[in-house]
Amino acid sequence: MSATTRPALLARIGGFTFHGDARPVLRDVGLSAAPGTLTAVLGGSGSGKTTLGKLLAGWLRPGHAGSLMGSLELGPERLVFHGLADDPRINPGAWSRRVGFVPQDAAATLSTVRSTVAEELAFGLENRGMPRADMHAAVAGTATLTGLTALLERDPATLSGGELRRLAVGCAAITGPEVLVLDEPLASLDAAGAVQVRDLIRGLLDAGAAVIVLSQAADGLARTAGHWIILDGGTVTASGPPAQLMGAPELARSGVVVPDMPSAAPSRRDTSTGRTGAAPVLELRTVGFGYPAGRGSPPEAREEQVLRNLDLAVDPGEIVAVTGPNGAGKSTLLRHFNGLLRPAAGEVRVQGSSIASVPVGRVAASVGLLFQHPRDQLFERTVLREVSFGLRGRLGVEASVSRAYGALAAVGLSDAAGTHPAELPASQQRLLALATVVAREPALLALDEPTVGLDRHGLDLLHSAVEAATARGAAVVLVTHDVAYARAMAHRILELDGGRLRQV
Amino acid sequence: MRARLHPLTALTAAGSVAVITVAADSWLLSLAVACAAGVLSVRAGVAGRVLPAAAVILAPLCLSLLMLHGLFFPEGHTVLAQWGPARVTTEGLGFALDLASRTAACVMVFLLFSFTVNVPDLVSALEARRVPAQFGFVLASTLTLLPAIAARLDRIRQAQESRGLVLRGGLLSRLGAVRLQMVPLVLALVDDAGNRAQALDARGFGIGGPRTSYRDVADPPAQRRFRAVALLLAAVAVALRLAASWPAAGLS
Repeated sequence: MSATTRPALLARIGGFTFHGDARPVLRDVGLSAAPGTLTAVLGGSGSGKTTLGKLLAGWLRPGHAGSLMGSLELGPERLVFHGLADDPRINPGAWSRRVGFVPQDAAATLSTVRSTVAEELAFGLENRGMPRADMHAAVAGTATLTGLTALLERDPATLSGGELRRLAVGCAAITGPEVLVLDEPLASLDAAGAVQVRDLIRGLLDAGAAVIVLSQAADGLARTAGHWIILDGGTVTASGPPAQLMGAPELARSGVVVPDMPSAAPSRRDTSTGRTGAAPVLELRTVGFGYPAGRGSPPEAREEQVLRNLDLAVDPGEIVAVTGPNGAGKSTLLRHFNGLLRPAAGEVRVQGSSIASVPVGRVAASVGLLFQHPRDQLFERTVLREVSFGLRGRLGVEASVSRAYGALAAVGLSDAAGTHPAELPASQQRLLALATVVAREPALLALDEPTVGLDRHGLDLLHSAVEAATARGAAVVLVTHDVAYARAMAHRILELDGGRLRQV
Repeated sequence: MRARLHPLTALTAAGSVAVITVAADSWLLSLAVACAAGVLSVRAGVAGRVLPAAAVILAPLCLSLLMLHGLFFPEGHTVLAQWGPARVTTEGLGFALDLASRTAACVMVFLLFSFTVNVPDLVSALEARRVPAQFGFVLASTLTLLPAIAARLDRIRQAQESRGLVLRGGLLSRLGAVRLQMVPLVLALVDDAGNRAQALDARGFGIGGPRTSYRDVADPPAQRRFRAVALLLAAVAVALRLAASWPAAGLS
């Protein structure tokens, strides 16, 4: 960041406190982003990254959402906040035209009332009254930049995770903002999706945008940044070029995942096979499954086969990782384990018996499923109620409460028992979802992308939970696109490809 | 048919037919209109949704009309059957048939419209006529709300089943499950709405000022003329109806 280039965005945050909170969530944070540069804000779970991103992008408005002491400078415009009633007000519509934001959950930016990708891209331009001819040109340009040209007529609801993320970036970029803030842009993307988003960010930088990436991993994308800011406990503990901070103690303390850092645990595949010779906990015999094709499709394409003739046996104490690209059917496979989906052909057996005519709620006593998205798993009013759901009937009041507290302690959420799950940061929501699974002590844990959104502390907790489960004889099947994690954790790695499992 | 018809043409046609049918006050015409709407729904490939929806609306309505007017119609003279205070009269049955057929015609015509109209086209056509964008958004959201709620309920049910909720076929068990799902559903929808509002703000939805539309809905001159004629016919039908019944109403 040279001193001669005027920053596109300059933020000095003395303190930001949400209304109703006693303590600030952010304090003493300074950030300067110059045109054409990539800045990475790195921090673990609950470090304040997302709050900072939303504050910069006008999604959290000073005065409206909380009180800010400090200043925001966007080009020549300088807004100074004293946490008082007569502070300047940010107009989110006008601000977002200049500072785009892509939240962690990309689908949350979509209008949901537009029927094609092209119209979704144009939504922000329509609201600003751009003439139709200009809009068509802008949509075509943004589609080229985001690689969405072939998908312009698709319904946004049918896009894959990577495509959706690119659409969300496109929706933020189409108004030509000087600054783009991306919250965990690579989360839950497979390798191909991650490359596409990285290329897209490169294109935005070349076009002169200042890009700020919020991430809890010092991954390939963060390493291409010119400047790092390490956020820990709501404040900046270190900042500077990546080369300088890579081995810094502040980075190690922050909980940021550093992918190439040597893992404490040796690769499990080198040490044991995991197969015990005992009767398998889970058996899939020639399982076939397909989703009915959408209306209007030709009769020969009525059903697309996701799983074909698939066999799998998992022993007690064994950890099996299933990898494969987005959309390969990994989540579909896991949903067969507890009967949420029923095979069209073949048989699923849990602890020796077929689950064909057993209701899901009964299979759940033996199979715990961690959903890919925590928001699909969580539905209760408090963290404690969430973990206790369904335990009382099985264990009685006293035992269920102690089991629930035990599970919360295992994921580091003992202090959050009374909190509403939606108020937790994304990573803690995932840990809470994990607690709801381990609290039931099932014979089989089926974990769908358990590492997504977890910082290093979270990964350690996940690791301990999996270890504890296998130590008491449970089997674990985990679906992940993170091959390095699969190598470190699993006894066996299987790739789901073309509806079949293949040993890697 | 759906692709070529401008949504406002379809809306005008549906509205005019409904107004003219009500004004004409002839059960034969009403039944003919209802049948025609049924035939069109088959041809448009939406009969599978229009007919069940019509049945759900019309069956209880027709039954209650029959109960009210078929059995208890004080002006009825030609008594066909009598059980205590309840008398089946020709006039009562005729009145019930009149009302039922008119309602059936209107319901069928508007169901046909709502199941065949392309919602994005309609929203875009309304916005092009300076109807506030918020109205279009609410209209589109309302039409997509039911599927969204159903999908959300399904997710909550799956999450609860995966944690030991056993669903059986019985009514009591279903009701119990509904009770467990309602609070999470409402909380989730409120949470969604909050997030959606933030995203809409950020995309300039609330900034006011002139808006434009990306979608260009073709509106051929012939359709505009058709709309003008349809509206005129509807107005004439209403005027004739008023002229025919006003003096009578004044005298009584």
